Amino acid sequence: MAAQAAKKTGGSRSRKTQGAAKAAKANTEDYLRMYRQMVKIRAFEDQANQLYLSAKMPGLTHMYSGQEAVAVGICEALTDEDRITSTHRGHGHCVAKGAEFRQMFCELLGREEGYCRGKGGSMHIADQAHGNLGANAIVGGSMGIATGAALSAKLQGRDFVTVCFFGDGATAQGLWYEVMNMAALWKLPVIYACENNGYSEYTKTEEIAAGSLTARAEAFGIEAHGVDGQDVLAVNELAQRLVERARHGEGPFFVELDTYRYHGHHVGDINRDYYRSKDEEAEWKERRDPIVNFGKWLEAEGILSADDLVAIGDEIRAEAESAVAYALNAGYPEAGEVDMHVFAGVDHALPYIDGYAKGAGA
Amino acid sequence: MPHEVIMPALGMAQDSGVIVSWLKNPGDPVKTGDALMEVETDKATMEVEAAHDGYLADVRAGAGDSVPVGQIVAIIAETAEGAGQAPSGNGAERAAPDETPAQAGAEAVPEGHEVIMPALGMAQDSGIVVAWHKEAGEAVAEGDALLEVETDKATMEVEADRAGYLAAILAEAGDDVPVGQVIAVISAEAPGAPIRRAMAAAPQGGATAPGPEPAARAEPTPQTEPAPGPDPAAAALPTPRPAAAPKPAGRVLASPKARRLAAEEGLDLADLVAAGHQPPFHVADLETLRALPKPAAAQAAAGAGPVGVGEVGVVSAEVDATGFDAFRAWLQEEGTAPSSPRLLAAFAAGALRAARTDEAPLTVAAGTLGTTTAWDDPDRAPVSADLPESEARPRLVLRDLTGTALTGIKPAAAPVPVVTITRRGDTLALHLAHEATLPDEAALTLLSGLADRLQEPLRHLL
Amino acid sequence: MTREITLSKAVNEAIAEEMRRDPAVFLMGEDVAEAGTPFKVLAGLVDEFGPDRVIDTPISEPGFVGMAVGAAMTGSRPIVDLMFGDFLYLVMDQLCNQAAKTHYMSGGKLTVPMVLRTNLGATRRSAAQHSQSLHALVAHIPGLKVAMPSSAYEAKGLMKTAIRDENPVVIFEDKLMYQDKAPVPEEEYLIPFGAANVLREGRDITLVATSSMVQVAQKAAEALQADGISAEVIDPRTLVPLDEATIVESVRKTSRAIVIDEGHRNFGVTGEIASRIAEKAFYHLDYPVQRMGAMDVPVPFSPALEDLTVPTPEAVAEAARRAVRGEVADAA
Repeated sequence: MAAQAAKKTGGSRSRKTQGAAKAAKANTEDYLRMYRQMVKIRAFEDQANQLYLSAKMPGLTHMYSGQEAVAVGICEALTDEDRITSTHRGHGHCVAKGAEFRQMFCELLGREEGYCRGKGGSMHIADQAHGNLGANAIVGGSMGIATGAALSAKLQGRDFVTVCFFGDGATAQGLWYEVMNMAALWKLPVIYACENNGYSEYTKTEEIAAGSLTARAEAFGIEAHGVDGQDVLAVNELAQRLVERARHGEGPFFVELDTYRYHGHHVGDINRDYYRSKDEEAEWKERRDPIVNFGKWLEAEGILSADDLVAIGDEIRAEAESAVAYALNAGYPEAGEVDMHVFAGVDHALPYIDGYAKGAGA
Repeated sequence: MPHEVIMPALGMAQDSGVIVSWLKNPGDPVKTGDALMEVETDKATMEVEAAHDGYLADVRAGAGDSVPVGQIVAIIAETAEGAGQAPSGNGAERAAPDETPAQAGAEAVPEGHEVIMPALGMAQDSGIVVAWHKEAGEAVAEGDALLEVETDKATMEVEADRAGYLAAILAEAGDDVPVGQVIAVISAEAPGAPIRRAMAAAPQGGATAPGPEPAARAEPTPQTEPAPGPDPAAAALPTPRPAAAPKPAGRVLASPKARRLAAEEGLDLADLVAAGHQPPFHVADLETLRALPKPAAAQAAAGAGPVGVGEVGVVSAEVDATGFDAFRAWLQEEGTAPSSPRLLAAFAAGALRAARTDEAPLTVAAGTLGTTTAWDDPDRAPVSADLPESEARPRLVLRDLTGTALTGIKPAAAPVPVVTITRRGDTLALHLAHEATLPDEAALTLLSGLADRLQEPLRHLL
Repeated sequence: MTREITLSKAVNEAIAEEMRRDPAVFLMGEDVAEAGTPFKVLAGLVDEFGPDRVIDTPISEPGFVGMAVGAAMTGSRPIVDLMFGDFLYLVMDQLCNQAAKTHYMSGGKLTVPMVLRTNLGATRRSAAQHSQSLHALVAHIPGLKVAMPSSAYEAKGLMKTAIRDENPVVIFEDKLMYQDKAPVPEEEYLIPFGAANVLREGRDITLVATSSMVQVAQKAAEALQADGISAEVIDPRTLVPLDEATIVESVRKTSRAIVIDEGHRNFGVTGEIASRIAEKAFYHLDYPVQRMGAMDVPVPFSPALEDLTVPTPEAVAEAARRAVRGEVADAA
């Protein structure tokens, strides 16, 4: 059963998309929201890339552009109570889970109004209110956290589901096998969502992954699926089903989502000829772009006109630009903030660790 | 283009130089490498050469002037015209002439979407334009390679991020452009007069950081103006340094607490060493130190009160130099003339010996400005004898300033007594600076003994 | 009412009391349920709380420590049992990159109230991979608290405080001390973090000792008393936070100090505490601060060698005598 579900071929994708589209509830509002969310992610990343290129953003960032259908398709199947853990390439998950542009750009620019008060930055945005337990700069670093959140749900009898996003590169981390084992043993409500964008940093996935990724999950008795990660409806349809089943104790699940990152490993990875061709990039951008294709489908279904699509793009771009302008003028954290939030219940860590200030309850 | 001649920095930590003389006159033609002027610093005198061909003009400082380093002293003009004009007294304050900003008068940059030098790698500050793939005015499509850029890591193409016309190219091949600076403009409409030029030297606004103010270079630095100096002859002398700087015989090893308590109680841990106790000392050793008999001289100190730790006492005397001069003249005739410091060291050692009770060897360091020699017991050998230099820690330092213009000194604290001898006409002035290590009474004995010997040198020989 | 119980029993009681008090508290680790750990510290807990709250895990240290972090971030209060302190090396990413930094990186939005209980101590003839004392490793990391109980009484009070803390706490028990008994009140009590315990007041020298070395320092102090030397013994109880003031104040009084800790001496806890003394009590020092830690070698198996690597009461007393006599130390 599981093995069958994991089977996928390139040829079957378009049929599957249409099948999924028909099967999906004809809910115009949901479609519109998914489209807008994908456009939001793309607009966010375009602005983030510009901030980096114009040297206005400290540090580096990793672009999610191209993978929008994965984050949106899955997160649209989740509630705010459901948790996700994210990765270094995490802006998409963050937006898809409901985060606001302003606080995100403020975080990218190290400003006090950022989601983490400027202490996390691009690779550590966490948005507790929407169930985002945070991006993680260690590849595979959040696999334990996601599985532990699922354990928490089970122990406390709560019905939230946790989705653990990670890339193909993270499947090489031993931690995944440890936590999959426990998740399977204890039937935890966790979905491991592997975004296979074809590259483990600067190396082709086929050079770092032996055998099949889905088969690895299946070895633990975990039901595994493969899906076209550029097809937001297909992703969402699968996610809806799996989330509901996980909520009812049928988890865990594994999903491998076939997708592509348009940019390099990070914004500074410009010369990519040595690991992938421009033709390949063009092929994905021109033929398999998740936003363009979903827009065409919406047009074909008569849900939106071509003008509507342009208007949505313009509106969201303007929203992103205004958020960037806001963030560029937002204030940095005060110097006194530097030793705050090291310990919960302790105002300032430095006097505390030397024993000159007592923490709450300590 | 005229070139500035500035007062160069000729040595380390040099603030200014004195123009000894000009070797060229205003209006003279000069060639690169020609000596322009002679400059004197505290270290040396040297010639300053022309760095450009042209004509010496606008000479702003004359012989004898002390000029801060970096200040303009003249101009090398391209033509003889105007050269030879009268030196201008405050010329240095004038802004540098005819500095036309490179972009002034250039065509206005057309409106459109700005293309900036992108950040292409980690920690990259700028990129060098290798070549443009599009010509100014040419239509471009989104994704077209506009230009090739080289960083320290790699060479790569920068693509147009929108379609339009390349209305302006603002940096040429070879330009090293800061990240964020505008290098081109893409306009929506075909430009009437596309612009192509090299990177402007001056900032063009936008994301570019402001450059240095052009006028700032020519401003003189007021604080480097030399203070009205003392006598020029004296100023030309090497800076007087505390003579000899005798190295302490070694730190007395003791615990921080023992050291602190000893200081609080005014006890000297060195007394424990002198009494034969072995360091390092701990608090327990302070008991022994407190019980040590006080040095006799210190007990005898009376009247004005003894000089305490860290305080400097000064004893002064004046002596008619005639006897000393005659004595030296006589030695010279005998053909055995010792140096003045050597002679003084012998006298001082003899005087100090009389002020002391012990018979330990007496090392005296003596010298003029800059050079100091130490001898063991210089009073116990004939003054003409060639004594070996001593490595021992001196008990007394003697500074012979009789050959200089110096007439007085306010002594700094020194761990050993210092006698300074200056001369004014036929009078020798003696100053003894001492700390508690030489009790007041001993200091008086020492200086009066030295004064006696200088007045009647023959007495020393007796 | 006070009775004498073993350190093992004290830890067991602390965890049981806290699990009764707060249903969010649960326990996970290798062989914690029916086996009750190899040291039997947790024996019986599964009977009271069931396998859902006393969870036997596979031998996957990074996995279950990572899961504890995630559980702690979502409303649970896990106590993770790391069977040997030596296994800390296996969980460094989860503990130091994830647990320690989550609160800070999230700007204070996420908290990780978890306890990692593990142990330290050599001379159990367990060789180099089961005998290490690695508390300095985690005390180095901002965001982690580190507790070092030195008796049954301490173990219970510190464990209860650790479980109630909103932050990741690593608590090291001395595995040689599990069967040592000490008076422990029947009534509930907590020991606050960052408050050192002065076990013995003295005049001539301060012995700062942690965990397993507290007993060693106590024995040394008794021996010194026979020589007329009065030693003050201080147990910091927690390394993070560290009660610096109590230590410094003591050394200002005695003007001599020896710091004793079972971690390796090189770049360790003794160096940290000694340097704080040097910084804050310098002008009161009458002798160089001495450090005594585990010898800087992997812990050898042979008893003949292993016993050489850990500070003994005799060695501490001898070092103290030299200090009080003012015998020239190497440093001088």
